[in-house]
Amino acid sequence: MLLIQVKDLYKIYQMGNTEVRALDGVSLSIEQNEYLSIMGPSGSGKSTLMNLLGCLDTPTSGEFFMDGINVATMGDDELAHIRNKKIGFVFQTFNLLPKSTSLRNVELPLIYNGEIKAHDRRDMAIKALTRVNLGDRVNHKPNELSGGQRQRVAVARALVNNPAIILADEPTGNLDSKTGEEIMALFDELHKQGNTIILVTHEEHIAAHASRVVRLLDGKIAVDEPTHRGKK
Amino acid sequence: MKSFFWENLRIALAELWGHKTRSILTGTGIVIGIIAVSLMSTLINGVDGLFEESMKFLGRGNLYVEKWPWMGGGDDWWTLRNRPRIELDMADEIKERSQYALVVAAERGRSANLSYKDLSAENIYIHGVTANYPEVSTVDVEFGRFFTDSEDRTGSPVVLLGSEVAKTLFPHENPIDKMIFAGSKRFRVIGVLAEMGQFMGSFSNDTQVIIPLETFNKIFHGPWGRRSITVKVPEHLVEEAKEELRGVVRVLRGLKPGEPDNFAINQQNAFRESYQGIKMAIGGTGMIITALSLLVGGIGIANIMFVSVKERTREIGVRKALGATSSQIQGQFLIEAMVITASGGLVGLIISTLISLAISKFLFPATMSFGVAFMAIALSAVVGLFAGLAPARKGAKLDPIEALRYE
Ligand SMILES: Nc1ncnc2c1ncn2[C@@H]1O[C@H](COP(=O)(O)OP(=O)(O)OP(=O)(O)O)[C@@H](O)[C@H]1O
Ligand SMILES: [Mg+2]
Repeated sequence: MLLIQVKDLYKIYQMGNTEVRALDGVSLSIEQNEYLSIMGPSGSGKSTLMNLLGCLDTPTSGEFFMDGINVATMGDDELAHIRNKKIGFVFQTFNLLPKSTSLRNVELPLIYNGEIKAHDRRDMAIKALTRVNLGDRVNHKPNELSGGQRQRVAVARALVNNPAIILADEPTGNLDSKTGEEIMALFDELHKQGNTIILVTHEEHIAAHASRVVRLLDGKIAVDEPTHRGKK
Repeated sequence: MKSFFWENLRIALAELWGHKTRSILTGTGIVIGIIAVSLMSTLINGVDGLFEESMKFLGRGNLYVEKWPWMGGGDDWWTLRNRPRIELDMADEIKERSQYALVVAAERGRSANLSYKDLSAENIYIHGVTANYPEVSTVDVEFGRFFTDSEDRTGSPVVLLGSEVAKTLFPHENPIDKMIFAGSKRFRVIGVLAEMGQFMGSFSNDTQVIIPLETFNKIFHGPWGRRSITVKVPEHLVEEAKEELRGVVRVLRGLKPGEPDNFAINQQNAFRESYQGIKMAIGGTGMIITALSLLVGGIGIANIMFVSVKERTREIGVRKALGATSSQIQGQFLIEAMVITASGGLVGLIISTLISLAISKFLFPATMSFGVAFMAIALSAVVGLFAGLAPARKGAKLDPIEALRYE
């Protein structure tokens, strides 16, 4: 089933007299339960594309359908709503709230959902933390956790609201290769359980976890092909 | 939506707890403002009570025919000085001629030294009054009795002591039926007055003695001292009665039409008016202090909230990425500002409650009303609302991508 459909997406920044085409006509379809990695040199537009797919940003022009709904024309509050219900973010720099416990951090998306009772939120957050093997770190604050554990909290936060897609912008960028592999194993697991995952990476061996790779160059899609794993 | 209030409250409390010193410093302006406003109204309440208590001695329906007006008057001091003194025997005539007069009492007064055995009380106000004086003023006889009409008319040497005088002259004895001296004249003590407190905070009725007017007239000759005729009239007719009384006194004094009054008719309104002035001054000062400290406090809070929004830019980015709407972010910072001011208000209220308890204990009865407390908290929350508005807007408008990238 088609989850995301993007047509002729442009994101143009006007910098004085010059215009920066961060995305220069991108068209892309993503199926449910796909495992996609986005690669490309620095400045090629990977983060820009991720931000658009994550409804953090709106395109200069183009169409963007998610679950058949046109997202490109939505207002800020509607976008916030979509982010809350359909999208889970994992950032390179974790972006956890430093003074809150793992539990509080993971609860956040559920709080902004507004319809889930405090008691249920707690249960769901503990369940998500258990899924990333942090059931015993519920009351730790970020500075009491290792880098890998922090990123696992972030993954738990991304999946706690059971989103349609998990978006990860260089999720292993701040981790050593062993811890990076642990996080990737987590994504592999989530994919196996039916989640749709899109991740940005600079490293081929990370990208190889996915089944499809999109390579950007100067804001355009240069290559869109299955990976070795995808061909099997 | 309602659940966000509690959520935001929880965030605000955690945030303020995390910056204790900062929160305390920020809230201080509000604390001072709330102390100023609540103490001020408590003070006014207390002073009001004192004033009304004092006014009881001057009944609402009492008119006082005297030489001097109580609160200034149109005439210059020399004109007033040269007025003839009040003839106290006018009292009977007034009673006869006035339709409104219920009771007409007369009084004189001057200071003298008293003694009993080797104890003495100096500069005691001797009050010579008619036997109906208790009907026009508050006379609370604690022991013994007041004098009778016939004791007055015959000029009996009897005296009632104010509570302080009684304590000074009779520290260990029962004063009743003892003989005291006023100058060379002997008086028999027939009563002791209950403690009354101070009149308008200065003159105390406890340091006076009361004797019959005729007795007073027999001993003290000469023009000195206060003379006054008190005319008690129905309270609701006091203005009409005053006009009538003026006419009666003018006739008794033989004034021709066109001649100015050579006497004054005083009433407690004179005090009331000047008291209102004092009250407005106290209230006005309090208002200015309150407004200034709330304004300065509010600016301080707005400032700190701007800093807080800036510091937490990334947090705002994260919250927005996870689905917080702009209005939820705005609510978060607004509530934070209001929690600071409301806690400041609460602390201010607690401090001023303690201060008013101290005032009650040591100075005069003063209680803080529930309404004042409620208003103080509401006022401080409103200050928070205004102070937090601009910073909260700023936080709410942040672009999530920029905010997430903020170092
Ligand atoms: N807010 C902005 N204003 C102006 N130009 C921007 C803005 N955001 C991104 N760009 C430009 O858009 C282009 C794409 O940026 P983007 O962040 O998507 O690159 P990227 O592929 O994620 O690079 P990296 O691998 O370094 O993260 C860059 O040339 C960048 O300078
Ligand atoms: Mg990037």
